Amino acid sequence: MTGPAIKVEGLSYSYGATKALDEVAFSVAPGEILGFLGPNGAGKSTTIKLLTGQLAKQSGEATVLGVPIERDNSEIQAQIGVCFEEKNLYPNMSALENLDFFASLFGIADPDSMGMLRRVGLAERAKERVQGFSKGMRQRVMISRALINRPKVLFLDEPTAGLDPVSAAEIRKMIKEEATRGAAVLLTTHDMHEADELSDKVAFINEGRIVALDTPQDLKLRFGKRAVRVRLRDGDGVREESYPLDGEGSSADIAALLASPELMTIHTEEATLEAIFIELTGRGLKA
Amino acid sequence: MSAPVSRLAILLALLRKELLVFSRDKLYLFLTALTLVIVVAFYHLLPDAVDETITVGLSPSVQNLVEASAESLAALGVPEASIAELRDAPRLAQEQGLILTEFDTAEEMAAAIESGDEVQIGVAVPPDFVERVLAGERDIEVTVYSQAAVPSEVQAAMSGFIREIARQLAGEELPVRFPAEDLIILGPDRMGDQIPLRDRMLPMFALMILLMESFALASLISVEVLQRTASAVLVTPARVSDMLAAKAIFGSGLAFVQGMFVLAVLGAFTSANWLPLTLTMLIGALIFTSLAMVAGAAGKDFMGQVFYTMGFTVPLLIPAFAILFPGSAATWVTFLPTWPLLDVIVGVTVYDAVLADVWPSMLMALAWGLALYAVGLVVLRKKVHSL
Repeated sequence: MTGPAIKVEGLSYSYGATKALDEVAFSVAPGEILGFLGPNGAGKSTTIKLLTGQLAKQSGEATVLGVPIERDNSEIQAQIGVCFEEKNLYPNMSALENLDFFASLFGIADPDSMGMLRRVGLAERAKERVQGFSKGMRQRVMISRALINRPKVLFLDEPTAGLDPVSAAEIRKMIKEEATRGAAVLLTTHDMHEADELSDKVAFINEGRIVALDTPQDLKLRFGKRAVRVRLRDGDGVREESYPLDGEGSSADIAALLASPELMTIHTEEATLEAIFIELTGRGLKA
Repeated sequence: MSAPVSRLAILLALLRKELLVFSRDKLYLFLTALTLVIVVAFYHLLPDAVDETITVGLSPSVQNLVEASAESLAALGVPEASIAELRDAPRLAQEQGLILTEFDTAEEMAAAIESGDEVQIGVAVPPDFVERVLAGERDIEVTVYSQAAVPSEVQAAMSGFIREIARQLAGEELPVRFPAEDLIILGPDRMGDQIPLRDRMLPMFALMILLMESFALASLISVEVLQRTASAVLVTPARVSDMLAAKAIFGSGLAFVQGMFVLAVLGAFTSANWLPLTLTMLIGALIFTSLAMVAGAAGKDFMGQVFYTMGFTVPLLIPAFAILFPGSAATWVTFLPTWPLLDVIVGVTVYDAVLADVWPSMLMALAWGLALYAVGLVVLRKKVHSL
């Protein structure tokens, strides 16, 4: 297909009187990773539920792989992979049985479940029941399950939440590989560093509305404040200061600083996505 | 785009998964096996025949009673043969299922009845009872001794029996006349062919198996809901309807197969009843599966699921108790979904009824099954959609 893998326009959804999504619009191209960032209750999961056919659309338009979304749409569901935040595997079944079962729901007669588990480093424990697995191992099985049908669109809900740094890094590597393969990825996360590292584009969502949508770099350029952090001698001690690079008089300040004999070190400081989010919404991501 | 997956392939995949998950649930596997063993063992431990003999104490002995009145009887012109027949009364009574245990004194008989080993009820008459009755006395003291456990109707029958003997001895005609046959039995006469307790409990056993399996299915459903594995299934080409169909087929199949197995082991099937019995077990499995779907959707944890399953299904055992103790059923019991079910099971296994006799009850049971299944589907679908 040539158009966007996911296209959303004016999508709104309410739970009773509570508005969960309000005129949301974005698109994700094949091979692109969109980081969907927002605090709990911002509307991330509702968006995923609508796009994956778990909820029926109320208003607005959205397509996945060119197919209009609707509840239980098998045409869409046959081509997507979903990794839930909850580790919803069958605990009494082995990792291999879990993957084989889900592969059979996609009509895959000869699934490469063992190959998938090998890819996430679980081949040797493939026949063990999932109930004995650590959180990180379960998450790796979850990712394998989401990829069992080689999906064209991947929905990943907090895929690295609560994982140790090594497991998280492995999963990020797999997400990048899937995007390179050509899959469109919608990634929700609280982790700004993860979003920064993985995402081609980032959407900030707050109280059901997308407040910013751009590449991480452009967001930083547009909303971030550039600065330099310096360490200066202060008698027998050392003091740290930050100087903005933008604004009136900043050039003169920097020039004076560079000439100062007290200057020990100087580093440029880049705005973080979290700082930008706070600036745009007035609240943190973990709220 | 790949070809769409057939609904049958999805259904079969879901059924294989249900079987696998059930086979890994050690608790319900154990409980299922235990229930099967207990039911079969209990059935074989229960008596397979009804002892219809009644043991009654008598003081003094018939021999002594007749000897004490021999002169009076002779004076009245009673033939010697008839007097000999009177002496032989204990043997003649035994042929009719009444065992007379004779005691020399009332005290001995009272002690025996109190101990309860040999006899539970007895009658003490004066040694010259026959003679005084023949003399037309109206104030003869007769005492009936009875254990507390003896039903009041048996106690009353014993008193009536003595009065009847006294009247006959006194030559008094009763003011009523019985037909020649004395007693008209409506329905099959089961004199000497009473239904053994274990056969009367057969429907209860069948329901217990269905009940046990409804626990297992409710557990499978609630685990799927609580662990949100249902959500994972429903973002694949599988639909809610596939999932509900798989649960219903698996649950009904599980309960049906085990119910049939138990009935077969207990020898309930005959060439005449296999069809209505099989159909009825299928309907029963549907009823209990439907309730398990509601309980599984309602329970928020293991205890909640057990609570709801008990709450929904245990009342359905009430008709089985009513059948166990005939005449004890209140009218409302007959409106429970299991009543027509049990009516068919009892009819075909105990009273040799055939399909033509029991189809109205089968239709009623089927109506209940379909109604409850619709409720189960709605409740479970709503729960799955709310995840």
